[in-house]
Amino acid sequence: MVSSILLPILQIVVIVGLSPLVKGFINKMEARIQCRRGPSLFQPYYNLVKLLQKDVVVSETASWIFRATPYVTFVSILLIALLVPVLSSQVPLNFIGDIILIIYLFALGRFFLALSSLDTGSAFGGMGGSREMAISSMAEPAMMLSIFTVSLTVGSTNLSNITGTLLNYKSLNPSLLLAFAAFVIVIIAETGRIPVDNPFTHLELTMIHEGMILEFSGRYLALIEWASSMKLLLLLTILVNTFFPWGITTGFSFPGLIISFALYLVKIGFFALAIVILESSLAKVRLFRIPNLLGTSFILSLLAIISFYVVS
Amino acid sequence: MPIWQKFILKVLSVFFILLICGNLHIAGWCGQTNMSTSDMSWYAEPDYVVHIDPATAPDTKTTAGNQSVRFPGEGHTQGTNSQPAAVGNPNITFPGFYASRTIHDAAQFNDLWELNNMGQKGGTVDADIDAPEAWDITTGSSDNDMENAANSGASMDTTHVSGAAALDWDPFPDYTPDEMMSLLTRSVDPMNTLSGKMPSGGSQNVYKYLFVLTMILYAAGAMFALCFFKWQIAGNYISFICSAIASCCSIALSVAVLFNGAVIRLDFLIYHAIIKYNFLLDPLASFFMLAISGIGFIASVYSLGYTRLYVNKRDTRFLGFTYNLFLLSMLLVVTANNALVFMIVWETMTLVSFFLVIFEHENEANRKAGFVYIVMAHVGSGLLAVAFFIMSAYAGTFTFSFDDFRHIGAQMPGIYKNIVFFLVIAGFGIKAGIFPLHLWLPLAHPAAPSNVSMVMSGVMIKTAIYGFIRFYFEFLTPCPPWWGIVILIIGATSTILGVLYALMQHDMKTLLAYHSIENIGIILIGIGLSMIFKSYNLMALSSLAMIAGLYHVINHAVFKCLLFGCAGNIYYSTHTNNIEEFGGLIKRLQITAPLFLVGALSISTIPPLNGFMSEWLIFQSILNSFNLPSVFFKIITVICGATLALAGGLAAACFIKAFGISFLALPRSEHAKKAKEVPIVMLVSMGFLAALCVFMGLFPAKIMTTINQVNTHLLGTNIIHTITLYDWLQTRSVHTNFTELSPKSASVFGLILFAVTFGVLTLLRPGFTKKIYETWTCGISPEPRFGYTATAFTKPFKVIFSNLYRPRRESRITYAVPKYFVKSITYIGEITPIFEKYFYNPISSYVLNISNKVRWVHTGSIHVYLVYIFVTLIIAIMFYIYQE
Repeated sequence: MVSSILLPILQIVVIVGLSPLVKGFINKMEARIQCRRGPSLFQPYYNLVKLLQKDVVVSETASWIFRATPYVTFVSILLIALLVPVLSSQVPLNFIGDIILIIYLFALGRFFLALSSLDTGSAFGGMGGSREMAISSMAEPAMMLSIFTVSLTVGSTNLSNITGTLLNYKSLNPSLLLAFAAFVIVIIAETGRIPVDNPFTHLELTMIHEGMILEFSGRYLALIEWASSMKLLLLLTILVNTFFPWGITTGFSFPGLIISFALYLVKIGFFALAIVILESSLAKVRLFRIPNLLGTSFILSLLAIISFYVVS
Repeated sequence: MPIWQKFILKVLSVFFILLICGNLHIAGWCGQTNMSTSDMSWYAEPDYVVHIDPATAPDTKTTAGNQSVRFPGEGHTQGTNSQPAAVGNPNITFPGFYASRTIHDAAQFNDLWELNNMGQKGGTVDADIDAPEAWDITTGSSDNDMENAANSGASMDTTHVSGAAALDWDPFPDYTPDEMMSLLTRSVDPMNTLSGKMPSGGSQNVYKYLFVLTMILYAAGAMFALCFFKWQIAGNYISFICSAIASCCSIALSVAVLFNGAVIRLDFLIYHAIIKYNFLLDPLASFFMLAISGIGFIASVYSLGYTRLYVNKRDTRFLGFTYNLFLLSMLLVVTANNALVFMIVWETMTLVSFFLVIFEHENEANRKAGFVYIVMAHVGSGLLAVAFFIMSAYAGTFTFSFDDFRHIGAQMPGIYKNIVFFLVIAGFGIKAGIFPLHLWLPLAHPAAPSNVSMVMSGVMIKTAIYGFIRFYFEFLTPCPPWWGIVILIIGATSTILGVLYALMQHDMKTLLAYHSIENIGIILIGIGLSMIFKSYNLMALSSLAMIAGLYHVINHAVFKCLLFGCAGNIYYSTHTNNIEEFGGLIKRLQITAPLFLVGALSISTIPPLNGFMSEWLIFQSILNSFNLPSVFFKIITVICGATLALAGGLAAACFIKAFGISFLALPRSEHAKKAKEVPIVMLVSMGFLAALCVFMGLFPAKIMTTINQVNTHLLGTNIIHTITLYDWLQTRSVHTNFTELSPKSASVFGLILFAVTFGVLTLLRPGFTKKIYETWTCGISPEPRFGYTATAFTKPFKVIFSNLYRPRRESRITYAVPKYFVKSITYIGEITPIFEKYFYNPISSYVLNISNKVRWVHTGSIHVYLVYIFVTLIIAIMFYIYQE
């Protein structure tokens, strides 16, 4: 009983606490690869603290949608943090919803963010919002199909069940490999990393996610930045604990959680490094080449489904 | 106007007022039969109908809702825990203290009280007359809430029969109790399960009078609208109030049928009638009736405000007249139990909606829309008529009754079955607006006034869904599996094409109309899956998919009605539908904006609103396709799931455009700048729908239980036990072996997290200030021109899907001083309507060619026509003789 109260809190703490670190880690490593010293590992935390202390500047054109968006985005991501298995394959609150709810909770945050991008009446915002929606809707079918593959392999869309079952899954299933590849591309598109979007750019014509949040400042910006780094960490967590759940504890015991946490850090670190290498070795593709990339992802996930049915 | 016309109109109005008053009186009685026992006995005059008499019924408990209902003499009605036993069978004893006993199921209920429990469902019958049980309605379920029924002491058939007696006593006050008893016994609906078991052998069901009442009220509403020429505003109000009341009656009726499961048959016995006017209210029909009359009620209230746009500007008599008939005809379509009646009311529906589409007929576009609609609708009706004729050939009778058509698929040869299948797809598909038969829909729905568009888009196209279910689940069963796949693929295609074309529309109502096509597609995915599962005899999964589809039927009705209503609000205040001309409306239409947002979130399947729930259920049904034996079918269904996901993402983009461009940023036209909030009735009715969106998203179990009643009757499968219903924090609200989801808990935890976030931020820095500045636009003061437009917002989609859209654009630049100073830029962009270009235009030119060639037949001379008639007659007679 205690664990079923503590574990959700622990999950939130881990996701909320670690997400800026993951971002800092990626930034630092990218700088290193480019032979720079780069900002401190903890720079995202300093940014958040600074932003939280600042006043907010709101456009006079903006409505309540603009002021509600940071909270909606942040809370929807926090809610997802409750539902994803992080340290233990058992999620006490998993009765709330499954992976489909998680996908649509991401959509909730995105919906409000895209609306608020139109709210201030600036052209940059609309540009970002329109591109973000185009990319995310193109990513949706690939994401759904790769999730379907996993769900069908396990026989459940519940993330606890997925992690728990795949933990003991011995055979090497080609469909899971394909689904994994598709899901990685989807994550890159969803979190706006190179080659889909460049998170460091503020050049008017290329920014997507940054364009949407251009008008936010102070506390609002802090919440949105935090939410987007949590989104990255959460998607990586889903990836890690779905396709590589090895070593995750199945109960609530303290030593088990410690080991899980250590392994979790290693696995997330590994994938963060993978993102670093990917981002450093690729150039951002043109906006209208992105559908090709997502199409590849869709084909991969379709093959995953077909191979699942044909093999089984 | 001549004197005699005025006189006739006055006489007519007085007549209808009297009619309404008289019938409201009946409505009072009928309405009361929905109530619990105590209400009923209080209402049915206690002197001689209901008798609370502890002396003759010593075991009567004195809790609320217990009284003995007796007729002096030997007869008595079936009753509750108290009287029939006491009167008819003194040997039965009652448990002394029964309120705290746990009663789990009907069998135990019987054991405990040694009473018959609903003669229809087995058990000992010990009464004279059966009737729908009141507590089914008060508790909402006939199987699970036995305990509630016991504890609240709500009664069973007695109330209903005493209500019927009260009704009968109204016109015949002189009847003695014995005469009344025999009248009640004679006027029952015979039931097979009861014949020989009880003296009447049937069930006394007064709900059917509610149906009659509904019809009368709609007809009266229609007539009232015509009656007032001078005071059109009064006629208008009266006619819409009539339709609102009529809708309430049919809501009550459909709820009654859905919850107590008693099928109502209503036959209008017209002397020597060729057509048998039979109507049937089974749970399926009443589910659609609930949707239609629910939306009808809201739309009628909304119309009270919206029609102020037209009153005193143009003749609104015809609007109220056709509107009432339109609602009535839809109800008759879903209840008709005879192919001929069905065709008549189906045609009526088409015709009156045609007149509503061309209501603003001075506009050329509206007339064209009406023309396309009526032509296509008639092609559809023709195909349906052929389907009925083929089926009646195998029914063996010429009554055309639907009862003869049920399960006729077993007797039909495969080829004819398939022909009927495709005829029905095309016939109902035109009305539903599936691709590529959708052509009329995006033309006609925007052309009609908004209060009519919401009914057309919300429920009229659902009558086609009703038709699909009736045919494929009742008439043509058993279906081969590939039928389901065809429906599934049609559904997926309509879903994706509907939303893709919606994205490119910058007219608010046309955009919404294309979304109707998308949502019809989603519903058809559910129905198609249900058919596939059913043909492989996976009944529980079939039921799940059917629940998903029907859930989406009612969800789409609610949020589409809400969105059309809000579009109507915008039109009311700006007199335009063009999204590009709006902007900044959130500051001007402060209540409409959040209402539209709720609808937009719902239709974009964002949790926790209702659109998400049905989409989630459809995804679950799709995932369960791994139970199918064929690999091909499995892969097809999963691809349809991916299509659905893509459509969901695109719908979200489309509604970000629709909401963001119209309501946010700065107003882009004078109309938008001057917009004012609309009358309160329009806001209240839309607010009710928005609340429904939230409610149906948060409490899916209630809706699913209701639909399960339909399935129990239609598919013979009850999956209520796999949908567990508990309170929010204890367990899940929707549970299958596959997954679980609790939208209520999600919302509660979301609110908790919000409170924590907000609290922590406030604690960290209590003196949080906001500064208001103008938007930074590179040093120029902000202008509406800087904001994004709908065209710009959808540009990425236009490029990505350019193969489908085949966009064409043309920009013209005029220079003030040659080459350097631009004076003006004109930009025209449009997409190629490929269906019109490659499908409809060839067909229509072909038809026109043929008709040109046979034109010489029409000479215009009446003599020639007489010859034609004569020749036809001769041929018909010869054919008849040859047949003999």
